[in-house]
Amino acid sequence: MKRSSAFILIALLGALALPGPVQAGTALRVPLSFDYYYTYEMVVEAMRLLHRAYPRLTHLDLVGNSEEGRPVYCLTVNNPQTGAELDKPGIYVDGNIHGNEIQAAEVALYLLDSLLGSYGRNEEITRLVDSRCFYVVPVVNADGRHHFFADANTPSDNRGLRVPRDDDRDGLVDEDFPDDLDGDGNICQMRKRDPFGKYKSDPDDPRLMVRVKPGEKGEWTLLGDEGLDNDGDGRVNEDAEGYLDGNRNWGFDWMPDYVENGAGDYPFSGAITAALAAFIEKRPNICMGWTFHNSGGMYLRGPSQKAQGEYPRQDVAVYDYLGRQAERITPGYRYMISWKELYPTYGDSMEWLVMTQGAYGFVGELFQQKSERFASRQESAAGGPGATETAEGEGFDFRPDRSLDKERIRFNDHLAQGELFKPWREFDHPHYGRIEIGGWVKMSSRLPAPFMLKDLVHRNASAVIFSAKNTPEVELEVFEIKALGDGLTRVRTRLANARAIPSMSYQAQKSKLHPKDTLTLDGAGLRVIAGGEIEDIHLHKVAYKEHRPELQFLVVPGFGKVEHEFLVAGSGELTVSYRSRHAGKRSRTLTLK
Amino acid sequence: MTSRAVFLVLLFLLFAAATLSFPAPPVFDRYHSPAEIESFLKNLARGQAQVTEIVPIAVSAGGKPLSLLYIGPEAGKPRKRLPAVLVAANLEGTAPLASEAALFLARLILKKPECRRDKGWYVLALGNPDAAANFFARPLLADARNERPHNDDMDDREDEDGPEDLDGNGIITAMRVKDPEGEWVSLEGEPRLMKKAEAAKGEKGVYKLYSEGLDNDNDGRINEDGRGGVNVGINFPHLFRFFSAEGGRWAGSESASLGLMRFVTLHPEIAMTVTFGASNFCLVPPKGGRKGEADFSKIKIPQQIGAFMGVDTDKTYTMDEIMEIARGVAPPGFEFSESMVAGFLGLGQAVNPLPEDLKYFKVLSDQYKEFLKKGKLDAPRLETPDARDGSFELWSYYHLGVPAFSMDFWTLPEVKKEEKAAPGITPEQLEAMSNEEFVALGEEKITALLKSSGAPEDFKAAMVIDALKGGMMDTKKMAEMMRRMPKPKDSSGGDENERAMLAFSDKELGGRGFIPWKAFRHPTLGEVEIGGFVPFAENTPPAAMIENLLQGQVPWVLELADKLPRLRIAKVTSEALGGGVFRLKAWVENAGYLPFPTAMGDRNKRPAPAVITLEGGELAMIDGLKRTALKEIGGGQTRRLDWIIRGHGGQKVRMALAHRSGWDDGKTIILGESK
Repeated sequence: MKRSSAFILIALLGALALPGPVQAGTALRVPLSFDYYYTYEMVVEAMRLLHRAYPRLTHLDLVGNSEEGRPVYCLTVNNPQTGAELDKPGIYVDGNIHGNEIQAAEVALYLLDSLLGSYGRNEEITRLVDSRCFYVVPVVNADGRHHFFADANTPSDNRGLRVPRDDDRDGLVDEDFPDDLDGDGNICQMRKRDPFGKYKSDPDDPRLMVRVKPGEKGEWTLLGDEGLDNDGDGRVNEDAEGYLDGNRNWGFDWMPDYVENGAGDYPFSGAITAALAAFIEKRPNICMGWTFHNSGGMYLRGPSQKAQGEYPRQDVAVYDYLGRQAERITPGYRYMISWKELYPTYGDSMEWLVMTQGAYGFVGELFQQKSERFASRQESAAGGPGATETAEGEGFDFRPDRSLDKERIRFNDHLAQGELFKPWREFDHPHYGRIEIGGWVKMSSRLPAPFMLKDLVHRNASAVIFSAKNTPEVELEVFEIKALGDGLTRVRTRLANARAIPSMSYQAQKSKLHPKDTLTLDGAGLRVIAGGEIEDIHLHKVAYKEHRPELQFLVVPGFGKVEHEFLVAGSGELTVSYRSRHAGKRSRTLTLK
Repeated sequence: MTSRAVFLVLLFLLFAAATLSFPAPPVFDRYHSPAEIESFLKNLARGQAQVTEIVPIAVSAGGKPLSLLYIGPEAGKPRKRLPAVLVAANLEGTAPLASEAALFLARLILKKPECRRDKGWYVLALGNPDAAANFFARPLLADARNERPHNDDMDDREDEDGPEDLDGNGIITAMRVKDPEGEWVSLEGEPRLMKKAEAAKGEKGVYKLYSEGLDNDNDGRINEDGRGGVNVGINFPHLFRFFSAEGGRWAGSESASLGLMRFVTLHPEIAMTVTFGASNFCLVPPKGGRKGEADFSKIKIPQQIGAFMGVDTDKTYTMDEIMEIARGVAPPGFEFSESMVAGFLGLGQAVNPLPEDLKYFKVLSDQYKEFLKKGKLDAPRLETPDARDGSFELWSYYHLGVPAFSMDFWTLPEVKKEEKAAPGITPEQLEAMSNEEFVALGEEKITALLKSSGAPEDFKAAMVIDALKGGMMDTKKMAEMMRRMPKPKDSSGGDENERAMLAFSDKELGGRGFIPWKAFRHPTLGEVEIGGFVPFAENTPPAAMIENLLQGQVPWVLELADKLPRLRIAKVTSEALGGGVFRLKAWVENAGYLPFPTAMGDRNKRPAPAVITLEGGELAMIDGLKRTALKEIGGGQTRRLDWIIRGHGGQKVRMALAHRSGWDDGKTIILGESK
């Protein structure tokens, strides 16, 4: 079977099994299901269930409370029998820092469910869980997720944290939200029949609209999101919740609100951003981080600003290795540099993790509208029904890719049974008179239809797993013990890293974020006369360290090694110890004669 | 510090003991330790409980409390309606005099009910108690870092190699040791001072310089990882410097700075800040001339954004033009703000004081200089340093958008030069001159001026005259250049500040500001000499000078507070247009001196707007809104607002002016009657 027809078959099967929205209170079970979206309360319940099902491998920690008092939890996955958390490379995953970008939490839950569910059954996962520690915060913006489900919304509302702000600078805060005029639980669009309007109905599908050409008679004026002028200031929906953007409020390269919209009054002015930063800081073993958003289908890495300059080239090599593999794991997604290929940001969480904590980090922008396929083989070859241009990008949130709409609305009709698009219906609006309300509903446009959710969460969790496998795995070997006479012994050690991520990022080395790894030689009656890193073993070039040669500072590169030579006087038991913030501890004991 | 300093410390310890039993009114003849400052404020508050309130805002990294003292008519009320001035002192912890000034101010405000009748004061007398404790500890050490442990040298231990008082004099000074690799030499004519040897002049270095101490961790370095930490005073977000030695991990990483920012954010009644520390915006307006400023009248649009906006990316646009274009490409109903667009285009922040604001700083600086004459405190003294990147005063001005001032109170007196540069023109004088007046000085005098202000050799007077005549240059630009020119070194190569310090020590302190070099046998360096400047001698005058310095300067803060913007509805009229339709006019006046908001506040949109509302019976608005945010109003200026409403003759309309960081006002209008 060809790929596209297989896809359609799967899609059809999925559509047949299209579930209704699952209500809160529905009994959740482990293993978790991924054919519907979890409300905030259900996410918390799912985390509790996972913890209850795997009590020895997990613990549930309160990160902090949101502005409205909702708890935000982290589920930690660690096998204490194979070592303490901080002695293993830490992988941090969060989602839903933007309240409306809900499928991010499902990716995090799926990751947890599959790590725990496969433990003991799948060799790769068992080894991974035994050797790494995962910190997973599925929902950062608990209030946003709650309100996204509970309130009428557009696909883009409830992004921010619930810190009130006077958006329209009239002395009142959050006084003019959109209004669900027709009471259908969505904030859709309003349009009014108007011969001078800039839009007309699309001749192919009157539910869609196209711009009129110069000289052509118009049909519609678009009036924006469904709503009223609640505060009588002549503007509609101009001061809704917040706006404090949880992902512009972090301490690194933060800029005030007039420079970066939604930055907040000062870094970490949000309750949950501050709590989360403190939580992460207490886990210095975190060397890999993922934060999931929607949408566009992107794996973004920093820098977030051009002015910062490119990351060190060795770090770029790591990102390229992980990013390109992620592109393969999720075909269609693109690995990109955020300032350059998306847009520059100040004060985002991933850059904070990279620039102050010394981790590697990716932002996953989940879902592409172009994955909502409805096309025959021939149509696909032509780019889909009504396609006028290829749908690259979707980079900018406020540039809806209208070329996809024709295919998407058929997808809505035949795969989502009309659940994604609200047909236009007449409404008597107090300001505008007779208008129509309709358009894409809140659970559309940025979210996959539930039948496609499992594919999305599985692929993205797999991208995380690939990066987790590439956190440092360092072996310590004493590869030479040679008596040089006069009670002097030459000891040579090798630290080798089997994975792509070095034991300390090059950015962290450049900015001196934390001390390097240490290699220590210790033994009663022994004295280290000289010691240093071997630069060329064949020509015997060693960078001897002048002071305290028994203590060496080093970094083990990705897919590489670092070797040391020590001249040790005396005899007896010698312990060689390696200690790393990101790669754990190793030690060897040997006896010098 | 010398025996005199030690004596002072003993003296105040006696006093401290004394105050425990006698809560006498505090006197400004000594410096107060962090604990004493805390109890000083508490005592003040206890004495006048009805107008004071102690507000804890944070606990320092070292566990010391940070408290604000509120003084004003709204003590005890959780939500204050009257405007307030926030004074934050000694955030760097290395300026004991700043804390004294804050205590002095608090006492002054309590003594003078008229300065708190209709406004409040928040006084943070000590923003960095951890570092401030150094001044009162032995050995004496100037160090601005708080007690957050930090691994300065990125080895395997934190705070493991600080200084030691090797010679046992209770003071950490310097060590110099003869070394073949030495870079330093004694200054000719003043062997107590050192300078770097200049190879080009054939000089050969003799000494290596260290701070007094040992290599505690045996890593070959001395004092490279002392106790602490972060300098709270540079831990604020405007131009915060990442990866600096003492700045902290990010702005607000410290409880003290975070607590202060949180407090200010929760108190929108704060209409002005005054920082007591090292910089002095009252004398020298905030520094300009920084690169990297986005010019909102000439914005270039990056390629990838330009492509979808459909604009010419080679051209520049004004912000207004871009807003227009953006509205055209965005979906309908999408709300835009300038900040959103600026953020999207990566235009960045303001880094130079806005010209409209500088005008106020300059006028006030002239007034302040006159004010100083009254207290006979206008003698030439060394320039105060610029506000540091990441400082509270910069944050106040740029991010809060309120009038932000700073004061330092003392720097070393300027050493009288034997030969004063010929015309002796200060940048201020230069600025006041016209181009013609300056040219009229003649080539000789201009040459002397250029030389004395450190202009490069090839910068000739004739060139300057030509440039002035040709309009390429004017006296204002020259004054700005002069201000930014590094101070010329004297011919010996010594440092002007060090000379001033030595002169002050010799003349005023009986030599106690400098410890003469004295031989010492160092355990690892061998024969060394220990000596040098006593910490704090540079910025902390003898206690006997405190009272006079503060009396002549601190009251200026009260004058500044009198200049707050004061919006009021000066006049309203109502005109019947017939058919139950009325035209209302209101003239809103800023009866204060300062504008509301500042130009920066207008740019950053941070200060809560002042709003006029209309209320009364059934009001139908025909033109204008029931709630109108006021645009910026300069000091002494008036702005007119118009409405057309439907009502009935004789109907009462209440017009209310709500100004969160100012005074509310209101008027009642009876429709049909002018008032």
